[in-house]
Amino acid sequence: MSRPFDSMDPKVMDDDMLKVAVVEQGPQEEAGQLAKQEGILFKDVRSLQLDFRNILRIDNLWQFENLQKLQLNNNIIERIEGLENLIHLVWLDLSFNNIEAIEGLDTLVNLEDLSLSNNRIAKIDSLDALVKLQVLSLGNNQIGNIMNIIYLRQFSCLRTLTLSENPIAEAEEYKEFIYAYLPDLVYLDFRRIDEQAREASKLKHQYSIDEMKHREALMRARLEDEKAQRQMLEEHKLAFIERLNGPFLFNSMYSEDVEGNKLSSLPGVDELLETYKDKFVIICLNIFEYGLKQQEKRMAELDTFNECIQDAIRENQEQGKLKVTKFEEKHLLNLNAIREESDLPNIEKKLIECSDDITDLFNVLMTLEMQLVEQLEETINIFERNITDMVGLFIENVQSLMAQCRDLENHHHEKILEIAINTLEKILKNEMDEDLPDDVRALFVDKDTIVNAVGASHDIHLLKIDNREDELVTGINSWCAHLLDKIHREEIVRNRKRVKEINQYIDHMQSELDNLECGDIIDI
Amino acid sequence: MEVLREKVEEEEAAEREEAAERAEWAEKMERMTKTAEVSKEETIMTQDELRDLEKRLTSIEISIPAEYSFINKSLIDVTKLPPSYSTNSPKEEHLLQVADNFSRQYSHLCPDRVPLFLCPLNECNVPKFVSTTLRPTLMPYPELYNWDSCSQFVSDFLTMVPLLDPLKPPKYLYSSTTVLKCQKGNCFDFSTLLCSMLIGSGYDAYCVNGYGSLDLCLMDLTREVCPLTVKVKEVVKEEEKAMPKKYTVKPPRDLTSKFEQEQENKRLQEIKNQEEKRLREAEERLLAEEKAKPDPLHGLRVHCWVLVLAGKREVPESFFIDPLTAHSYSTKDDHFLGIESLWNHKNYWINMQDCWNCCKELVFDLGDPVRWEYMLLGTDKPHLSLTEEDEDVLDDDDDIDNLGKEEEDKSFDMPPSWVAQIEITPDEFETRCPNGKKVIRYKRAQLEKWAPYLNNNGLVCRLTVYEDLQCTKVLEIKEWYQNREDTLELKHINKITGLHVDYFRPGHPQALRVHSYKSMLPEMDRVMEFYEKIRVDGLIKREETPLTMTEYYQGRSDFLSYRHINFGPRVKKLTQNSAESNPRPMVKITERFLRNPAKPADEDVAERVFLIVEERIQLRYHCRDDYITSSKREFLRRTEVDSKGNKIIMTPDMCISFEVEPMEHTKKLLYQYETMIHLKNEEKLSRHQAWESELEVLEILKLREEEDDAHMLTISIYDTKRNEKSKEYREAMERVLHEEHMRQVESQLDYLAPFLAQLPPGEKLTRWQAVRLKDECLSDFKQRLIDKANLIQARFEKETQELQKKQQWYQENQVTLSPEDEDLYLSYCSQAMFRIRILEQRLNRHKELAPLKYLALEEKLYKDPRLVDFVKVFV
Repeated sequence: MSRPFDSMDPKVMDDDMLKVAVVEQGPQEEAGQLAKQEGILFKDVRSLQLDFRNILRIDNLWQFENLQKLQLNNNIIERIEGLENLIHLVWLDLSFNNIEAIEGLDTLVNLEDLSLSNNRIAKIDSLDALVKLQVLSLGNNQIGNIMNIIYLRQFSCLRTLTLSENPIAEAEEYKEFIYAYLPDLVYLDFRRIDEQAREASKLKHQYSIDEMKHREALMRARLEDEKAQRQMLEEHKLAFIERLNGPFLFNSMYSEDVEGNKLSSLPGVDELLETYKDKFVIICLNIFEYGLKQQEKRMAELDTFNECIQDAIRENQEQGKLKVTKFEEKHLLNLNAIREESDLPNIEKKLIECSDDITDLFNVLMTLEMQLVEQLEETINIFERNITDMVGLFIENVQSLMAQCRDLENHHHEKILEIAINTLEKILKNEMDEDLPDDVRALFVDKDTIVNAVGASHDIHLLKIDNREDELVTGINSWCAHLLDKIHREEIVRNRKRVKEINQYIDHMQSELDNLECGDIIDI
Repeated sequence: MEVLREKVEEEEAAEREEAAERAEWAEKMERMTKTAEVSKEETIMTQDELRDLEKRLTSIEISIPAEYSFINKSLIDVTKLPPSYSTNSPKEEHLLQVADNFSRQYSHLCPDRVPLFLCPLNECNVPKFVSTTLRPTLMPYPELYNWDSCSQFVSDFLTMVPLLDPLKPPKYLYSSTTVLKCQKGNCFDFSTLLCSMLIGSGYDAYCVNGYGSLDLCLMDLTREVCPLTVKVKEVVKEEEKAMPKKYTVKPPRDLTSKFEQEQENKRLQEIKNQEEKRLREAEERLLAEEKAKPDPLHGLRVHCWVLVLAGKREVPESFFIDPLTAHSYSTKDDHFLGIESLWNHKNYWINMQDCWNCCKELVFDLGDPVRWEYMLLGTDKPHLSLTEEDEDVLDDDDDIDNLGKEEEDKSFDMPPSWVAQIEITPDEFETRCPNGKKVIRYKRAQLEKWAPYLNNNGLVCRLTVYEDLQCTKVLEIKEWYQNREDTLELKHINKITGLHVDYFRPGHPQALRVHSYKSMLPEMDRVMEFYEKIRVDGLIKREETPLTMTEYYQGRSDFLSYRHINFGPRVKKLTQNSAESNPRPMVKITERFLRNPAKPADEDVAERVFLIVEERIQLRYHCRDDYITSSKREFLRRTEVDSKGNKIIMTPDMCISFEVEPMEHTKKLLYQYETMIHLKNEEKLSRHQAWESELEVLEILKLREEEDDAHMLTISIYDTKRNEKSKEYREAMERVLHEEHMRQVESQLDYLAPFLAQLPPGEKLTRWQAVRLKDECLSDFKQRLIDKANLIQARFEKETQELQKKQQWYQENQVTLSPEDEDLYLSYCSQAMFRIRILEQRLNRHKELAPLKYLALEEKLYKDPRLVDFVKVFV
């Protein structure tokens, strides 16, 4: 790349350079004078042009938070970097540089127009974040693999593409390929795509495209499925009964239970286990159903509460607005009267009147606010009580259901124990018909061992059930606490905000009046 | 029998009373006339003379003309009416006998009741039974399909003529066709026509002969409130109070004293009561004023109206229609005082119920023979299914039941109507009222109606509302228009306030909807409303007063909803050219905007005020969702110069702002400067728009004046009668057709005519004659052909002879001839040769064609319709 600038030294993007550029490209004439007088903050700049400056490295741009258009063409930049903060960027021009790979664009989600022509890029990638991309310029680069085009299929907004003077553009079917694989494209290499040519190429590549489409559709369907499932689980989690709509809990009880599994090979245990599982699952389902119903109830309660609170606040706001409007009308008239009045005592009298009016307004608004605070407090308390009751009831019912689970477990334990002891007796008496696996047989050495084994299995089961119950109870309790906390906090924030607003307004009014006073006194 | 006797006795008593009353009334009338006479003549006459006059006056008897006074005999030529009008068919004769028998038995059984209205004379002096005068007809106009529009048409179309004797039914009942032709009639004619039309369109309708109130009989609506003035009461929808939800906040505690409130309420209630009492008294006074004087003939005035029974055409309840006014009444209305009889096209019923309480207690179950005595058996009315209790009543009534029907054939039914088809031409239908105009007087109002296109300004209806009962002080005038080019629909003039309100239908060139004004001069109080969907700028309404103009907008992309302009007094211009417009200076422009959801509230201007004289601009922003105060900003547009003479571009005190949530970037002078520059441009734009609005008002006013002067009427392209263009086109088409026809007729000259003329006229052709006719015709034609050939031959010969002569002459004098004579001879020769050749050709042609022509004629004669019968057989 021979350029006239080559002789010049590479420059650094420092504050001075940026400042000069900003001032140069900022407002002109009268506005320019003002700008100069005040100075321009980098974060107010919307568009910046830094071309032909021999910049080697992009730097110091982090302050330009609201930049929308950035031109860095005709420099000697080698890497795309330092653009992470410019999230509002819509237009980025990096043409005529020495960039070799596309990178560092992952945060620029708003980018619509990207120019990377006349660089040394060999592969199109790392553009996944740019969902709004409409124009992509990659002319005169080193792109050689035609499969790069398929990567561009994901950009549904892409309308204009430039790939001329790349190795792939030499290929015979370059255009046909692009027409076929990018059906939404309108302009290619500065030309509008002919519809007929597009149809022809589509026909030619139909099979491969269809195949690809099918694959894409499958992928999408799978993703959607997964998403739906996740959402479902999320919902269940909100109701604190996740994974209770099946044998999950039961299975988890046996997953860590070594002895239990061993015991299940005893004769008669199989059927026992089967009936036990069925009963257990039914109870789990009961809990699940009940939990969903309760969740719905809670949500409905919360919705009504929110609605009522919003209504109350809105009504109060309307009243406040009305009061303010009325006051403003009156105040304006008063001010005009004062301006026209020439008699000093009269002015003073009127000023005092005005100031009284302001104080009145303050009182009225504050009264309204205090009234609202009281009303809301009362309502919130009622809600708190109701929701706590609801949660308490829910916990109670779930616990009773869990107790049924435990009963089942106890019952099952007894049966197992009985079978185990019977088996032990049989083994001791050598009446055992069937063969038992060695590790199971190892349990039946004496009564203590077998009782211990059965007991351990039972303990694990009970522990699982207890854990699940604890999980549920803590979950709902913390949810309840959080919710109430949030409601209280929000109410406090709202109150503070309103009080602040009122004070601010009153202060402004008062100061305006004071200014008027001063002005008048000076006038006189 | 008991019951009947009682009833008869009752009726007798009633009759007696009536008779007494009538006598009394007659006496009273006499006295009244007398006293009137007396009071007139008193000054001149002595007592004796008076007595003498009295005698003479009493001897004078007013002979009531037997004829209908209103029907102009010349209008209807009795001889031109169809024969069914002037004669009775045998079946009708039979019916008349039955009716006569029925009537006689009736008068025998109920001697104290007035004779039945059964067989009045028609326009040809022929007695016709009333039921046969009904001619059920379905009119071809969809507007006449329902009873309300139908009765309205009858009431509009005919002019009411009161009965000659208000106490008796008329002697004559004309056919509906005659009545329609005269457009005049009494209540019986009205009812007959209306009833025919209603039965035709499927209603269960009956003509009712009975007694009505004075107002009803004389079609006096002056005590009725005009239906057009009655304001439709808006149904106030009680907004359903939402059930207080579970968490609705409690209202703040009410700290006012309940006792004081109660006292206050009591006081207010008292005041209200007094007010109400006063109002009621005033109303009563008014009512008393309006109340009619008692009618001495109350209950005796004969009237005829229409009864529509429930059942058919989804009529839910029976009701009366007064055909004179087209109003419908419930069967319990006070205006209807009694019913003698009623009939439809199939049967005739006599009311056997007592009418002491008007018609309020009548039961219209015509199948009940106790209440309604029918004349013909075998009607479609179902008989009552009687319960046990009624059985003996029925037995008692057997005599009456049987009296009409003993002799008559059980299956005898009504003969078809003698009246010709009732026809209303489209012209008549459109014109409606006689001469297209009708005036109705209501209580404190007068309604005038015109046929469309009768008035050249499109006026079709005018309602004048008066303040007093005597109709002297006009309160307001409402005029309805139709088919106007400027789509003016209704003009409402309030005479008290002087306010004119014009309503337009969609389609006005300026999208005007309502225009209310006091004067058409510009810059006065006026309100214009527009069809906002048609206007590009979304203007809904523009209000004007001498110094302000307010515009309301809707659906604009810049969210402008309101613009208010204050004008200052006009500055006197010194320049001479007064033609140049001198707009009033604008003092203040206020614009309001709706919330633009795309912008944050702090940057979305809600209201901006341009104080043009003070060079100030005030902005008020929209209120944020959860705030009660909104940001404000005020700019001083004045450009000042600092001490060194440099222009100050922007200083912090040129912009005073209050921000709900102070932000950094708005504090910057640059931001404020840019905002101000923007606002300056906006101000220019607003001023321009205001100026344009003023111009538009002037334009609309000019247009309105032009339209009012021109009052063009539009004519639908489907209106073939009035649409000149289509009429011309149609006439041209007709003319062309006519000419074509004429040509065809000419081409078909009758070749037999001269031969037919020789035969004696009016006789049928014999075969011999026909053959002779044909032969004569053919021989004649042959002769003609030969004659023609001879003629050509003669000419040819003559021409050749002359040529030969000339040639001879030339050869003799060839030497002596001058060159001119020679030329003359040569040209003659060539012409003669030409003529000869032509003649030769014609002769040859004739020879060729003559046989063909002869054959063609022969064939034609064979096929001639007059000869074909004879010739064909012959051939």
